[in-house]
Amino acid sequence: MPADTAMPAPAAEINSGHRLLEVTSLVKHFPIKSGLFGRAGAVVRAVDGVSFAVDAGETLGIVGESGCGKSTTARLIMHLIAPDSGSVRLFGKAAGTLDLPMKTYRSRVQMVFQDSYASLNPRMTIEDSIAYGPMVHGVGSGEAIRRARQLLDRVGLDPARFAGRYPHELSGGQRQRVNIARALALEPRMLLLDEAVSALDKSVEAQVLNLLLDLKEEFGLTYIFISHDLEVVRFMADRVMVMYLGRVAEIGPTEALYTDCRHPYTQALLGSLLSMDPDRRTETAPLAGDPPNPIDPPSGCRFHTRCAFAEAMCSSRTPALEATNPGHEAACHMTDLASGHSKARQHSQEAAR
Amino acid sequence: MLVYIAKRVVYTLPTMLGVALVCFMLVHLAPSDPLVSVLPPDASENLKQQLMVLYGFDRPYWEQFVKWLWRALQGDLGTSIRTSRPVVLEVAKAVSNTLMLSALATAIGFLLGTFFGFVAGYFHDTWIDKVASAISVVGVSVPHYWLGMVLVIIFAATLGWLPPTGAGPGGSEAWKWDWEHVSHLILPAITMSVIPMGIIARTVRALVAELLSQEFMAGLRAKGLSELGIFRHVVKNVAPTALAVMGIQLGYLLGGSILIETVFAWPGTGLLLNDAIFQRDLPVLQGTILVLAMFFVVLNVAVDVLQTMLDPRVMRS
Amino acid sequence: MLKAAPADSSALISRSPGYWATVWRRFRRDPVAVGALAVILLLLFLAILAPWVAPQDPYYGVTLRRLRPPGTDGYPLGTDELGRDMLSRLIYGARLSLFMGVTPVFLALIVGSVIGMTAGYVGGLVNTLLMRTIDVFFAFPSVLLAIALSGALGAGIANGLISLTVVFIPPIARVAESVTTGVRSRDYVEAARASGAGAFSIIRHHVLGNVLGPIFVYGMSLIAVSMILASGLSFLGLGVKPPEPEWGLMLNTLRTAIYTQPLLCALPGVMIFLTSISFNMLTDGLRSAMDIKA
Repeated sequence: MPADTAMPAPAAEINSGHRLLEVTSLVKHFPIKSGLFGRAGAVVRAVDGVSFAVDAGETLGIVGESGCGKSTTARLIMHLIAPDSGSVRLFGKAAGTLDLPMKTYRSRVQMVFQDSYASLNPRMTIEDSIAYGPMVHGVGSGEAIRRARQLLDRVGLDPARFAGRYPHELSGGQRQRVNIARALALEPRMLLLDEAVSALDKSVEAQVLNLLLDLKEEFGLTYIFISHDLEVVRFMADRVMVMYLGRVAEIGPTEALYTDCRHPYTQALLGSLLSMDPDRRTETAPLAGDPPNPIDPPSGCRFHTRCAFAEAMCSSRTPALEATNPGHEAACHMTDLASGHSKARQHSQEAAR
Repeated sequence: MLVYIAKRVVYTLPTMLGVALVCFMLVHLAPSDPLVSVLPPDASENLKQQLMVLYGFDRPYWEQFVKWLWRALQGDLGTSIRTSRPVVLEVAKAVSNTLMLSALATAIGFLLGTFFGFVAGYFHDTWIDKVASAISVVGVSVPHYWLGMVLVIIFAATLGWLPPTGAGPGGSEAWKWDWEHVSHLILPAITMSVIPMGIIARTVRALVAELLSQEFMAGLRAKGLSELGIFRHVVKNVAPTALAVMGIQLGYLLGGSILIETVFAWPGTGLLLNDAIFQRDLPVLQGTILVLAMFFVVLNVAVDVLQTMLDPRVMRS
Repeated sequence: MLKAAPADSSALISRSPGYWATVWRRFRRDPVAVGALAVILLLLFLAILAPWVAPQDPYYGVTLRRLRPPGTDGYPLGTDELGRDMLSRLIYGARLSLFMGVTPVFLALIVGSVIGMTAGYVGGLVNTLLMRTIDVFFAFPSVLLAIALSGALGAGIANGLISLTVVFIPPIARVAESVTTGVRSRDYVEAARASGAGAFSIIRHHVLGNVLGPIFVYGMSLIAVSMILASGLSFLGLGVKPPEPEWGLMLNTLRTAIYTQPLLCALPGVMIFLTSISFNMLTDGLRSAMDIKA
C-alpha cells in the first residue's frame, strides 16, 4: 500500500485490544451570528468536554437525540472542523504534527456520511469517486482505478455494471456501498460511520450492516458507529456511549448498558424502545419534549429539566463521569454515594444487589 | 419582527454610503476636466485656478466627498453648470414626471403580467401556457426603445391616434389630468410596461405551476374545495411575491427610463440625464444618479419589509 | 478529471454518458432551443463572413438615393439616411452589435466568477467584504449604472464595454457566490477533505465542475439583456460612434425618417430583438436540459 510510506503500521497496532483512538476533553462551541445590538458571544455548545477512547478492533456506538453533538464529535475526530480545545490522538499521536501528518491521519481514519447522494460528487463516475482518495495520496491513476473496481466488487457491486455510472443512477443502498468502498480505498484503520444506514430502508439497512461486519473482520477495522437507532447500535456495537447536549451521559459495554443502565437519560431512551415489548415493560416515563436549547444549556446536570429524579442539587452541581462497574461509567449524582442526592444510596444498593 | 426590520434598515446604511461614494467617483472617472463645459477653450490658467477653488476641486478627494455628502444630506446637490439652477430643483421636477410614468407602467405591467402568469401557470404545459409564456419571453427580449419607436410608427405616424412625443401643451409645467395631456402618457407607459409584464408573468407562472403541483392542492380538491376556492388560495400564496417583484420593477423602471424617455421626449430623469451627459453637466449627472439609486435602495428595503409583514416565512436571518 | 486506466476489465465496463452528453441529448429534443441556437449561429456566421456575404460596402452612400424603401431595385432592404445599403449595414452591424453584447458578459463571467467563487469558498470575513462591495453596485438599477458609467467615461466602444462589464459583474458574482457556498457545504466536498485532499485539488475536481455550469448558464441569460443594453447605449449616442454600422446606432440615426420610411426605421430593432429573443430561448432550453432530476 503506497499510502503507507509515511507511517508503517507496526504489528502491535493491529492487535485488537490496543488503544487506537483517544479523545480528550473535546470542546466545540459554534458562535452564533450576533444580532443587531450584540448578544455577541452567544454560542451553541455542540460538544462540551467529551472524552473517550476506542480500542483497536472494537465498535463503539454513539447514541443520542439529534443535536446532542454526535455528528460534531465525528467531524471533530475527522478534523473537518477544528476543536476549540481538547485533543484527538491516534496511536497516542496527535494529527497534524510531524509524528502524524494530517494527510496520513486521514488515510488512517475515514468517514461515511449519512446522505449517500450528497456525499458523492454528481459529476464523477463511481470509480472516479472511489479512486480520488488514493490518487490524492499519490497512487497512480491506473492502480487507483484498479483498486476502486476491486473494492466495488468487495462491497457487492459488480464493477462491470457500476464503475462507469453516475451517483444519480444508483439506489440509496448502492450509493452507500460506494461510499463505504470510497472510505476503504485509503486502507484506513478506523471508519467513522455517521448515521451511515439511517436513511436506508430496513431491508437494505440489514444488508449494509452485515456488509460492514464482514468488512470489519476482513480488513481488521475499528468502527465508531453513530446512530439514533438504539436497536441498530445494539446489533453493531461492543460498547455504547450515550450523549446528551454535548456531554457524555453514560458509556459502557453494550449488554451492560442495555440491561442495566445507570443514567436516567439512558433509561428514558431505552424506555421508549422497550415499551414496545410487553414482557419487558418498564416504569420509566418516556422522554417528553425536545432537548433544551444547546445555546443556553441547563445548569448543573444538563438532563435535570427532563429527569424524573431531579432534585435541587442537580441544577447546581455538574455530575462527573463515575465508574459504576469496571468499564461502565455514568454522569449522574445518583450513582455517586457522596453526592447528597436522596436516591443515591438506594440506586447504588440496587446496583450492589 | 421589529428587530428584523430594524436590522434590515441598519444593514442598508453601509450600502447607501457605498452608493454615494460611487456617485461621487463618477465625476472623477470622467477623463476630461470637470470644468471643461463651463470654461471657454481659451480660458486663462488663472481663471481656471479660481474656478477650481470656487467649486472645491482643488481639495483632496476624501475632503470633497465628505463635504459633498454633508451637503447632499441637507438637500443640497450643488448647482447645475448648464442652467445655474440648484440641482435639487431640476431633479425633483424630473423625478416626479418619471415617477408618474413608471408608476403607470408598473401598474399596467402588473395587471397584464399577473394575468398571463396565472393563465400560463393554471394551464401548465398546455398550448395556452405556451402562448402566454411566449408573450412573457417577448416582453423580456424586446428592446423597449425600439418597441417605443414601433408604437409611434403605428399609433402616431400611421394612425394618428396619439401624440408621438412630449408631455402635452405647455410641457410638464402645465400638466393636467385631461385627455390632451394624458394622451401623451399612453404610448410611453405601454412601452415601459412590457419589461415588468414579462418578468412578473414569468414569476407568477412559476409560482402558480409549482403551487398547483403540490400535494396539498390535491388534498384541498379532495376535500371538495371549489375551483374558486382553489383560485383564492393560489392568489393568497402568490400575491406577496408578485407584489415584491412589482416593487423592485418600479425601481428598475425609475432608473431605466432614460431610453424610453429619450424616444418619447418625456421630461423626466432620463431626459435630464441625457442632457447632463451630452452637455457634461456633472453635478446634475451626479445628483440625478444619486437620487435614483437611493430611491432604488429604499424601495428594495421597503419591499423586503412589506413582504416580511405579509409573509413572515421569508424572514431571512 | 480522473482518467480511467486501461485495465484489463475496462472493455467490459458499461459506461453512462457524461453529464454534458446527457444535457446535449436533452437539448436536441427541444425544437425551440435548437431553432434559437441555429439563429444565433447564423448571425455569427453573417458577422464573421460579412465582407463576403454583404452585397455592398456598408460605408459607401449615395446621397441621391437616400431613404429608399425596402424592395428598391439593387437595395433589397432599402437605403439609410446617407444612402447606404441597409442590408449590408445590417449584416456588418452583426459584428459590432454581437461583439458589444457578448463581450461584456464574458469579461464579467471571468471577473464575477472569480470574485463569487473566492467569496463562496473562503467564506467568513473575505465573503462579507467582497459581497458587501458587490451589494453597493447591486443597489443601482442596471440600465442606470450602465448609462451613468458610460456617460461619465464618454462615448466609445471601449468605454461601453467597460460600463457593461461593471454592470454584469455583481449579478454574476452573487450567483457564483451562492452556488459555491452551496457546493462547499455539500458532503462530497467534506468527504474529499476527509480523504486528505488540498484546497486546490478539491476546487479543481469537486467544486469547479459543479459550479461552472450554473454560473455559465446564468451568464448566458444575461447576454439577451446585454444585447439590448449595448445597443441602447449606442442608441443614446454613448457606445459605438458613427459611421460604424451598429444596430442601436442605426436605430438612432434613422429616427428622423420615422414618418417618411417607418418600415425602414424599424429594421435594426428587428435584428436586436431577434438576437435577444434567441439568446433567451437558448438559455431557457439549456436550463431545462441541465435540470436533470436524480
